[in-house]
Amino acid sequence: MNPALAAIAIAILAAAVGAVFVRDPRIAVLTLAIVLATTPFLADPIVPASGLAARVLGAVLATYLLWIPVRDGAFTTGGSRLGWPADAMVAGAAAVVGYVSHGLGAPAGGPDLASAVGFGLAALAIAPILTGRDVIRVGIGLSLLLQGALLVRVGLGGTPSTLEQLVIAGATAALGGAIAILAATARADGTAGFALADELPPRRRRATDVRPEPRPAHPVDERP
Amino acid sequence: MTFAIFLAITFIGTTIALLVRRWERVALVVGLVGLAAAFGAALAMDPEIRLDVGGAILATSPYLRLFLLLGTFTGLVLSLMAGAAGSRRDGPAVTLGTMGAAGLALALPDPRVAVLAITAGGMLGVLLTIVPTGGRVGAGVGLRDLRAVVVAGAMAIAATAWIGRDLEALVAQPVVFGLAYLAFALAVAIRFGTIPFHILVGRLTDAVPETGLPILIAWGPASLAIVGLAWVDASIAPLPVDVGPERAIVVGIAIASIVLATFAAWIQDDLEHVVGYSMVGDAGVVMLAFAALDPAAWTPGRTWILAFVVTRSAFAAWAAVVRDSFWTGSLSDLRGWAIRSPLLAVSLVVIVVASIGLPGFAAFDARSDLVDLAIDGPLQGLVLIATLAPMLYYGRLLVIGSRRLDVRSAPVVDWRPHWAQVDLTDLKGSVNRFYKANRSLGMTVASLVLAVAALLTSIGAFGGPEAAAGLPPVQTLPGESTN
Repeated sequence: MNPALAAIAIAILAAAVGAVFVRDPRIAVLTLAIVLATTPFLADPIVPASGLAARVLGAVLATYLLWIPVRDGAFTTGGSRLGWPADAMVAGAAAVVGYVSHGLGAPAGGPDLASAVGFGLAALAIAPILTGRDVIRVGIGLSLLLQGALLVRVGLGGTPSTLEQLVIAGATAALGGAIAILAATARADGTAGFALADELPPRRRRATDVRPEPRPAHPVDERP
Repeated sequence: MTFAIFLAITFIGTTIALLVRRWERVALVVGLVGLAAAFGAALAMDPEIRLDVGGAILATSPYLRLFLLLGTFTGLVLSLMAGAAGSRRDGPAVTLGTMGAAGLALALPDPRVAVLAITAGGMLGVLLTIVPTGGRVGAGVGLRDLRAVVVAGAMAIAATAWIGRDLEALVAQPVVFGLAYLAFALAVAIRFGTIPFHILVGRLTDAVPETGLPILIAWGPASLAIVGLAWVDASIAPLPVDVGPERAIVVGIAIASIVLATFAAWIQDDLEHVVGYSMVGDAGVVMLAFAALDPAAWTPGRTWILAFVVTRSAFAAWAAVVRDSFWTGSLSDLRGWAIRSPLLAVSLVVIVVASIGLPGFAAFDARSDLVDLAIDGPLQGLVLIATLAPMLYYGRLLVIGSRRLDVRSAPVVDWRPHWAQVDLTDLKGSVNRFYKANRSLGMTVASLVLAVAALLTSIGAFGGPEAAAGLPPVQTLPGESTN
């Protein structure tokens, strides 16, 4: 086992546990940033410099966009209800499964640690995605799931090409931007911060679904 | 080179339009200009280019060119209508980005990268869910959409990654192939919002304007379906592996979507929901192409996808004009719409013909072929009849439209052209008055244009079946020659 890759793998999983566990959205975003910025390094052979630069830039852009709605720390996010030890156990168990099942029945082209961390991230993402009640928590879960799937892909197929790295960088930034705009929209509406509406309102008629008042005179007829 | 220009226009245009979204009119103009330029680039595109970019191959095809041509054209018309109706400002940017991502994905022989590109493009869609008032609800709908995009993307990435390598030394059970196939098929089903994933469609129709629905529910997912069909044909169909249980699930999803979504569209009172569920019903036919697991389904599957996305775009455009003209989308309030606006009635009749089709139409034959290939036994005939069931909700719309009005204060629809005398001392005012006087007519004509485009696509007039019969770009494994 490559000790450098092992260190990166542990750092990613630890940061992911932090992102899922904490209630302060600023810390959650910063720990997520560690995940996004270090996953490109979990490859063997290492990603070409241009691809690496794109991935890191994509991670920085996603973090910056996510930072905008949370930077004042005015609202909290859900955090884990189980506590970080339980989250760490979930991630660790899933990582072991990913490690021992590396290749999933056929010789793999990438490092076994990528599969392990990919499984760990995907397992950590399940609770926020399914039970999250605020935009930031669900968004962090989605980011972890995407990175987990990408790491499994690296573990199975080896280091992605430069073009694929560019597309991954774009997807990472796009996801960060999408979560950020949803978070900003939610917190701008009322005082509930990033929380989702308790329930979507029943299907209702829109405001325009009424017989309008008789329209004013036709514009052509308004001319003197 | 022409393909690179298309990609540059779409991605740069999307970025600029999003950067200037604070200035609504500027963003709208940037998006519209970008769409027009992208349409021009698609028109000039060489359909047989092969580019080596960053170690990956990009290859164009006649089908890719036709998909982008129709996509940018319908996107441009829908965006113009949205601009005239005062809908969300991000529509053109989202359309442009979705088309760019679709173009990139369909040109990539490697499905692993293609899936990723489509997933990234799909994330743009959340911008359309943000409603001007009640932002928290809009954010909730957007988050649902984002969740569907990412979960579907992750499933498709995992499926393509598992098979996208050298499997000569395979020691896994064949069932894993079935699971990979099912994962990709479910990913497509989730993106389309087919039954049982249809709740997303219901929510989207609550929040997204009519002109934005085709991009979210049809065009974006359609590109994933096209990539998926190529992947299934290359990776699953040729294998002597029994995937019967997984295939049964896909067939079940397809049939449930065709039948239940049509029923849902029939009983809805809200026009947007009718449009949304009509898309789900047609997407069920796309799922039949996945269920067929036969190379013979390749051409009809892709032919149907083209007809489906254009026809549903035309239907959404028609619904947008109805809401704009009558200030309501509630069917119970729309009595006599066809009498009030005969052009709209013509438009809907054309859409009905394009959607249901006639024997000899490319779309009609493609749909029949898919049913034949995917389903055996007596169920085949029943499903074939079910695919014609959209006549129920079309008939309901036409019946409502032909009823006598019971409210005398119902709005007068300006569906006739108005010619105003030009005042040379006030040209700007003259133009404004002319625009206001003919805005409704313009939207109706735009709807009619899309309806005719849908009819021509359904017939196969743009060479759709020939383009759909073309082979997908060839994938090469790492280490193989790309030439």
